[in-house]
Amino acid sequence: MRRETQNILLVLVGGALLKISITGAYLQYVKPSHRYWLLGGGAVMLVLALVSIARDLFGKRATEDPEHAHHDADDHDDHDVDGHQHQARSAWLLVVPVLAIFLIAPPALGADSINRADTRVATTRVASGTSKMAFSPLPPGNPVPVTMSDFSARASFDSLNSLTNREVQLTGFIAVQGKDTYLARLVIACCAADAFPVKVKLAGGDLTGLTNDTWLHVVGRLRPGTGTLTDEYVSTLDVRSITRIHQPENPYET
Amino acid sequence: MSTGTSAEITEAPRAGRPSGRRVTSLEVLCVVLVVALFGQDQLVRWLDAPAVRTASTIFVAVCVQALPFLVLGVLISGAIAAFIPGRVLNRLLPRRQVFAVPIAGVAGVALPTCECAAVPVARRLMQQGVPSSVALAFLLAAPAVNPVVLVATSVAFPNNPGMVFARLAGSLGTAIVMGWLWARFGKAEWIVERALRRAAELDGRSRWRLFFESSRADLVDAAGFLVIGGLTSAVLNVVIPRAWVDSLGSQVVLGVFVMAVLALFLALCSEADAFVAASIAGMPLLPKLVFLVVGPAIDVKLFALQVGTFGKRFALRFAPATLVVAVCCAVLSGLVFLGGA
Repeated sequence: MRRETQNILLVLVGGALLKISITGAYLQYVKPSHRYWLLGGGAVMLVLALVSIARDLFGKRATEDPEHAHHDADDHDDHDVDGHQHQARSAWLLVVPVLAIFLIAPPALGADSINRADTRVATTRVASGTSKMAFSPLPPGNPVPVTMSDFSARASFDSLNSLTNREVQLTGFIAVQGKDTYLARLVIACCAADAFPVKVKLAGGDLTGLTNDTWLHVVGRLRPGTGTLTDEYVSTLDVRSITRIHQPENPYET
Repeated sequence: MSTGTSAEITEAPRAGRPSGRRVTSLEVLCVVLVVALFGQDQLVRWLDAPAVRTASTIFVAVCVQALPFLVLGVLISGAIAAFIPGRVLNRLLPRRQVFAVPIAGVAGVALPTCECAAVPVARRLMQQGVPSSVALAFLLAAPAVNPVVLVATSVAFPNNPGMVFARLAGSLGTAIVMGWLWARFGKAEWIVERALRRAAELDGRSRWRLFFESSRADLVDAAGFLVIGGLTSAVLNVVIPRAWVDSLGSQVVLGVFVMAVLALFLALCSEADAFVAASIAGMPLLPKLVFLVVGPAIDVKLFALQVGTFGKRFALRFAPATLVVAVCCAVLSGLVFLGGA
């Protein structure tokens, strides 16, 4: 592949990274704190490509020393033998993420990932055992907003039962499995590849017409006695009200 | 329209050959972009199946997550090439490889990044005349023993502080054993010649030129292979049913095997893998440790990068050996630190 083409590909990839980190689309793929890495990485890619382009445009005339001339010629793979040829081909693959980001812009993971994952996963990443422990008390408020992962962990493992008689507000999307309707959310540690599903079964309320990937605020109470080994740590929420919302800026919990 | 897109991509490399002088890669790229632009609707419609959507999200996520680390890696690698003469590096290391290998392993602490960054740096160390066994020990240790990863591990396993030490020992052990094995049995000709080609000693302005040029070239080379890794990992992520991982329950031996395979195929970032391991219910700690030790040492993404950087002959020998050594080290370390729990 020619040097010029490589540079253009680098500009495109760097531009793609900058674009998603500026528009906020990066939150569909990675955790919020990764933004600075993306900005830095994208900027460096642009600089590397632009320096190389500038040198190609303006440097040619200025070069007298033979070493430099040789160096430049060496980088034109058109003139190179064996090794480089094979190597440069891989650079074509950079077209794939560029097209994926600019043209397809894959959405955040949703109900498909929930239904694909096993139903019996643990309810929280942090509670690695099945032993109970004392959680800090919930903040005041009625209903109190709680993350899905916090809710599930408290429902199953809180020795102080902090959810008892408390009305909570959960934010998540709908995942329908058979006859049951779940409110679900994906938790990521680094990027969407390590996404981990959390779900709560919805009971009561008007659940008809809720389709996969509908985002909701749901207010309700933990049904006592759920979130145990018998229901495989998937707790049940007795729903009081449901509000449709747009997908939050950060679709994942971290 | 959209069938044209894939045809263009496969056709593209031919244009780079000297024989294809009439059409340059630049023109091919333009055609690919224009075709994709016009075929956008068709492309989006194609990818509308839920499974494909999930896979494409994971693919973009892996690329987006890893690219900045790869950029950091090529910058470090370029800086070593341009500003640190090979003799300085060699003066810092003991003459005998037996001692230099463990030191390189411990030096991995200084590069707190994912595994992608370590590959170009390791190659650069070789080019600067560092023995390849030493550079490979660094390659295996850097992503696994750095502070960021160890802190993440302790957060993910709050009830098992032994996990952090077990991971540290297992990963360091893997790096050192592999370094020694390479020093004893490795052959330089397995590594492609271009990976070992020494850069000329330069000074003044040409140093900066070398820095920019080698960083850029490294990035272009490695990024393509990262894309292969991302694609593989995305497909496997969707295809492998997690259910059978979780249904293993408490079978340790089978668990070790499955978790090693899973680490290989999921290609997770070493800062995140501890959380994934922790979330698998009912699995004993030992298989989880295997997952954490194998993942940063070898997975599909790293294998693709190694093929691109060091060549196929190298990767086909090094990667399976790494897998076996990593599993053994993890099991040993688990028996010591976790009491085989």
